[in-house]
Amino acid sequence: MTIARHISFLLVLLLATVIARAQATPEPEQSEAVKALLTRIDKLEQRVAELEGGKNTASTLQPNGQPQGSQIPKAEVVEENLATQMPDDHPQNGRSVEPHFPSMQLHGFADVDFSATDERGSFSGFNLGQFVLHVASPLSKRVAYFGELSFTAGPTSYTADVERSIIRYAYNDYFKLSFGRYHTPINYWNTAFHHGLWLQTTISRPEMIRFGGRFLPVHFLGMLAEGNIPSGSLGLGYEVGLGNGRAGTISRAGDTGDVNSNRAWVARIFARPTSLRDLQIGGAVYRDKITPVPALTGSPTFGEWISSAQIAWTRETPELISEFANVHHLNNLTGTVHNSQAYYIQLAYRLPWEQRKWKPYYRFEYTHVPTTEPLFSTTAFEVTDLVGSTAGVRFDITDFAAFKWEYRHTKHRPADPPVNGVFVQTSFTF
Amino acid sequence: MARLATFWFWFAVAAIALLCLGQSFGQSQDVAVIVNPKNNVDNLSMAELAKIFRGERQYWRTDLPVLVLLRAPGSYEREVALRSIFRMTESQYKQYWVSRIMRAEATSPPAELYSSGMTKEGVTSIPGSIACISASDVKPGVKVVRINGRLPGEPGYPLH
Repeated sequence: MTIARHISFLLVLLLATVIARAQATPEPEQSEAVKALLTRIDKLEQRVAELEGGKNTASTLQPNGQPQGSQIPKAEVVEENLATQMPDDHPQNGRSVEPHFPSMQLHGFADVDFSATDERGSFSGFNLGQFVLHVASPLSKRVAYFGELSFTAGPTSYTADVERSIIRYAYNDYFKLSFGRYHTPINYWNTAFHHGLWLQTTISRPEMIRFGGRFLPVHFLGMLAEGNIPSGSLGLGYEVGLGNGRAGTISRAGDTGDVNSNRAWVARIFARPTSLRDLQIGGAVYRDKITPVPALTGSPTFGEWISSAQIAWTRETPELISEFANVHHLNNLTGTVHNSQAYYIQLAYRLPWEQRKWKPYYRFEYTHVPTTEPLFSTTAFEVTDLVGSTAGVRFDITDFAAFKWEYRHTKHRPADPPVNGVFVQTSFTF
Repeated sequence: MARLATFWFWFAVAAIALLCLGQSFGQSQDVAVIVNPKNNVDNLSMAELAKIFRGERQYWRTDLPVLVLLRAPGSYEREVALRSIFRMTESQYKQYWVSRIMRAEATSPPAELYSSGMTKEGVTSIPGSIACISASDVKPGVKVVRINGRLPGEPGYPLH
């Protein structure tokens, strides 16, 4: 009886230990093997150091009578050989991690989508999303290049576009100057997720900053100064840019030259408080003169003032991103002023179960454009009212790939019927 | 038979106890933050350390860029750095650097090294480098930085 009791207790204890260990480490065998190997490396290094410390007193003769020096290469020779090897992701020694210039890093983002909506004239089906290549290469300790190329499927062929091309000179943490084509720092989403759909929680971007949209200028060509502002725990930063502003087609930046002789400028300030990790609060202003092409009746130009505010808490438990923007247009021909507003609020929460792979989310967005707005109400430059809701869930298949399921309900003009749609996407980085 | 069972019972209890004890001892070593001896920084707050490791502060001074060196996945030093400095899981850490590079805020993640010896070698030879190393592995040739005014082994030291 005692034996049986002991054995039962032993089994329960062992089982409990195994279960506890299994719960603590999701991949115990692999991680233990890695740990053991790393510990072994450290021990071997200590052993080498001990041997090197005592080698002067030890015999230098091999069993065959030859001195060790004739078989073991000298340290200088080994170092010379290592120095001639190209650096790679697996450094052979501590010195080889010193930066080399240029050293290009290539990353890619892609997505495959399925959509089905009840909008009149639309078809359900799969479509290939953007294929994006991102290049980063330090050219020296102070100069670095960043580029982003996109390939988008069209009805007859793929459209290639240089989304970003930036060369940056960094003087210190407080002043970095760059030139090129940017995503306009007028908006948090635009500068946080770029064309990497895997980076963003949802399938779609908010309507106010969607690619090809007209409400806010997505791209900006020119120069940008940025850096931290000495502010202690407030963590202030700034971005100030000068560039061409909107092209004649207002959804595009003036890549081939400005459409008028007035430069656009943008200024943004934000805070990342030390005490509230992953929180960012900011505001921006943008000034431009718009010369629409094709010209409107009477060929008016428009003075544009955009002001925006952002708050983003990306800790995921919960995640909150909300932005507001007011677009102020002054008709230089008639002197009339028009203000349009848009905002969105997005909430998400990374669920604690199943290795934190699931993240449900919801976004509400709203856009209001006055009916008398002369630019946004013209067909070629149209921006319409919007009230929309998006609800979905993201499932992270691996660290670098995700599935997203999304339901959207949108309504534009009062006379338009609401549109409901179901969207599925797998997005990934490689 | 009864004696044999009793022996194995207490043997298993002792083995499990030693295993747990050894693990808790192994896991509670202090981790030192080391820099090149030419670097004139002596003390960093945890907030400053986090900014440096997360790439938000990229220069010690105008002529000296920061280079963060990190042990490879699976090492104790990396576990401590991710838990106490980055406050991220391994997955979140990888995703964090993909997003920083995509945002043009960095050109690469911190270099990964496979041993304490390689880490010390890197810090000794690269002036702007900073790394985490087990306090018992600290040897001459590197400078240990105080964190929140405390050195490894002192009460209240935050990295272990």
